[in-house]
Amino acid sequence: MTVRNTVAYVVDRGIELAADRPVELHFVDVARTRAVDPDAQAELGAASDLLDRIELWVEEDTGGETPENLTVITDVIGANQYLFSPSDYADVLLEYADDKDIDRIVLDPEYSPGGSVPMLRPLEFELARDDVEIEQAPVDRPTEQTVLARAASFRKYLTVFGASYLFYMLLSSWKPIDFATGFLTAALVAVLLAPIAFSEQPSFGRIGKQTIRMLIYAPYLLKEIAVANLQIAYVVLHPDLPIDPEVVELRAAVWGDAAVTTLANSITLTPGTLTVSVTDRSFSIHSLTAGAREDLFEGGLERAVRFVFYGRDAAAIATPRERGDDGGHSDG
Amino acid sequence: MVEFSTALLAIAGAFVIFAVVALYRVFVGPTIHDRVIAVNVAGTNTVIAIALVAAAFDESTFLDVALVYALLNFLLSIAFSKFNVERGGVL
Amino acid sequence: MTPVEWAIVALALLGAFFGGVAAIGIVRLPDIYTRAHAASKSDTLGAVLTIGAVAFALQSDLSTVKSIFLIVFMFITNPTAAHAIARAAADQDIEPWTKEDDS
Repeated sequence: MTVRNTVAYVVDRGIELAADRPVELHFVDVARTRAVDPDAQAELGAASDLLDRIELWVEEDTGGETPENLTVITDVIGANQYLFSPSDYADVLLEYADDKDIDRIVLDPEYSPGGSVPMLRPLEFELARDDVEIEQAPVDRPTEQTVLARAASFRKYLTVFGASYLFYMLLSSWKPIDFATGFLTAALVAVLLAPIAFSEQPSFGRIGKQTIRMLIYAPYLLKEIAVANLQIAYVVLHPDLPIDPEVVELRAAVWGDAAVTTLANSITLTPGTLTVSVTDRSFSIHSLTAGAREDLFEGGLERAVRFVFYGRDAAAIATPRERGDDGGHSDG
Repeated sequence: MVEFSTALLAIAGAFVIFAVVALYRVFVGPTIHDRVIAVNVAGTNTVIAIALVAAAFDESTFLDVALVYALLNFLLSIAFSKFNVERGGVL
Repeated sequence: MTPVEWAIVALALLGAFFGGVAAIGIVRLPDIYTRAHAASKSDTLGAVLTIGAVAFALQSDLSTVKSIFLIVFMFITNPTAAHAIARAAADQDIEPWTKEDDS
């Protein structure tokens, strides 16, 4: 955690500058949850906890007595906005900076709002479009952390262990020896793989809900898959090969690794569309026919995936077309 | 009258033929990706053929072979597309 | 054969039809991306139908569970593999085939 050192650095600089002129230090955390997310309350709570700790640290660093013309303000921003890409974060930060006449933004070098998506560098780049000074706090990073391997919690170990034990037992013949070997194998798998298995803390309630909604989603997906295959069969067996392929861009309103993966795979399985590449939430999609492109921007699939992962409220977000995304045809 | 297991074996044979048809694309290419995706299709068809053979001979252990083959098939596609791209990051 | 067995064979035949579509598509379609369409969609459905038939044919709990695993696995891996390959192709700047190329 380099946040502590970043705060120390900012306070140091603040005290230095405060010798000449009044200085306001703003510590802000950008809320990364959306109001529709069921975890929003918990995460907003975590954000204000962090800010409370920062206030304590600031007191520590100033030795308890804040210099006269140094003001410290903490704030959570972006809580009610729809944030996904680095440019969205930059928008929120710059708007705040503009509002409060801030002329220098210091970023924590380990700030990674996008979960497992590397975000700091693009964020810095996006912030640079305004004339605010940007820097990363020059603090020593304790260890070079790779995003893949995070310290796993007990719950992660338990989830991975349980899942692999179950899988092993389902494939075994239920002799006593199988229980023993299964236990050993599952323990080995859990020790080796739990640190990389989840990007977020697994929550059993949430997984349960998503599984149930996934079961509602399955028939819809199956119908789409059936249509897709009849279409492919028609196209492939037609003597003239009536195709009109084109690559289109879709900015989908889903977030989180699992949801993006599900949407990408669903797009691939449904009529005439194939996900070629995904960056953040921008999908590059190869479509086989013009009709397939129409369906894509009607957003039925996207809505269904949102329903699976975030519940019914989130399904009501506007379709890609209503959001003004008509594909931005990248080439013809 | 056709025997049930014979019918299943015949369909398995059809899938083997499809795999061979896909091998044509492996042979002519033209890019490495065409070959990989054709190998993937051939592999999937092999998995299906193994499963059908399992059903025809009523040997459920053959399904384990199919499962492992499916895993290897997936791994092959991913590994190829990953290591074939210089800058990586496909996974 | 009993009616149930006829139904199983019919299901497997339907799967074989889509497997055939995938194989023909791989050969006929003009470029890597369109071929990936055939590989991901038709082959997945072909696999799911046929392995579903196998699940009904092998009447033991264990092999039904294994078949379902195989089906779920196909559902996840086939599109992912097609996506990985298409993306690798896109990373190497292989241009998608368009109607204008055809002449």
